[in-house]
Amino acid sequence: MLFEQVNNKVVRAHVTAQSPVLARRGAMLGYSGAVAFRPVRGQGGGVGGFVGAAMSGESNPMMASEGDGAVLYGYKGLYVTVIDLDGSYPLTCEADRLLAHDANLQTSVQFVDSGGVRAAVRGAMTGQGLFTTLVHGRGPVALLSHGGAFPLQVTGQWPVGVDPQAYVGHTGNLTLDLKAKVGFRDLTGRGSGEAFTLQVTGQGTVYVQASEQKF
Amino acid sequence: MITLTADKRVLVAEINNDSLRAAQGSMVAFEGSVEFVGAKMGGGDGFRAALKRRVAGESLDLMEARGTGRVFFAEDALDVTVLDVGGSRLTLESDHILAVTPGLRLDVQFAGLRGMTSGQGLATTTVDGQGQIAVKSDGPIFGLEASPGRTSSSTPTPTSAPTATCRCRWSPGCRGSPSSARAPANRSRCGSPATAWSTSSPRSAESCCSNRSTTR
Repeated sequence: MLFEQVNNKVVRAHVTAQSPVLARRGAMLGYSGAVAFRPVRGQGGGVGGFVGAAMSGESNPMMASEGDGAVLYGYKGLYVTVIDLDGSYPLTCEADRLLAHDANLQTSVQFVDSGGVRAAVRGAMTGQGLFTTLVHGRGPVALLSHGGAFPLQVTGQWPVGVDPQAYVGHTGNLTLDLKAKVGFRDLTGRGSGEAFTLQVTGQGTVYVQASEQKF
Repeated sequence: MITLTADKRVLVAEINNDSLRAAQGSMVAFEGSVEFVGAKMGGGDGFRAALKRRVAGESLDLMEARGTGRVFFAEDALDVTVLDVGGSRLTLESDHILAVTPGLRLDVQFAGLRGMTSGQGLATTTVDGQGQIAVKSDGPIFGLEASPGRTSSSTPTPTSAPTATCRCRWSPGCRGSPSSARAPANRSRCGSPATAWSTSSPRSAESCCSNRSTTR
């Protein structure tokens, strides 16, 4: 196990020569061993990835932790959730939720145009914008959330809905569709407060945080 | 049939062809066929309750989750605790209510001087009946047992939910040396046998939420 949860908000990454770790710049809290830190530009994936990341705004300054030792990561007291990717499906999430991940994982930026206008509206509603980040490969990822993220299995047996503001990310073969149900009561402030939900269909896991705040 | 279970900051409600009242906009995810509608007048407690709430300023915006399935509720990463209500009355601030099962009635009660001095306003909410209530708080809540022979005190603001038979009296001035930083200057005191619930943070759920939104 490369990533080890120290507590709710801190994760310890074991860095070896074979598996360096990429992390959000400034998220290092402490380290032991012979570890060196080097800034990394862009999201990886070469020049295309770099330009794409810069254009989309889906990028965070990252740093690579290399060498041999253990590094502690944490950011702004936010909750950290470690997700082990098995390589079958990429993890979709926001770039600013990425605290740290195995450097052997690839990140890429995806334009939501595959879903057309509906996806664009969804991006605007969830505060994700028009771009999301995909994390490909096999290895652990540490994600930031407000209040901690819990996994919700989607099997297709039941309809599943998620509050757009509480959505953190997802893996698997899932389709997310924004469903609006705005009635007169919602406009007068006497509605349920749940006029918009993300309808999740397919097979996979969606991660939900215990808050509707974006940090 | 509704079962509430709390998992740290998330409330899990198993709803089986029933309707659960919860704080407006607090749903984060659901499985199954559940629909969310604004609660009826007075949060489902009728015209009288609505009027009293309006007069007292104990605002409580509720919605109803109806159907069959599993619903996850959470708000601002606040801790969630499920309390069983039955037999005795539970008194708490309306800001702390996350969800209430159908067997419970909510009402507004005049709190008097205690409410005023603790910054909670003149009124508190009372919960009667048989069922479960989910309480949200900044930091986990803990119970203080009070019995006639032994008074237990807590600083007034964190008192999120003193139970019924507990008469919380306001006692200004502290016992012990006033200069001691550890002794709170003002305390709520519980006399009769009951449990007073207190959070680990002196902020109420309401004030902590407004603090967070202004510093964002």
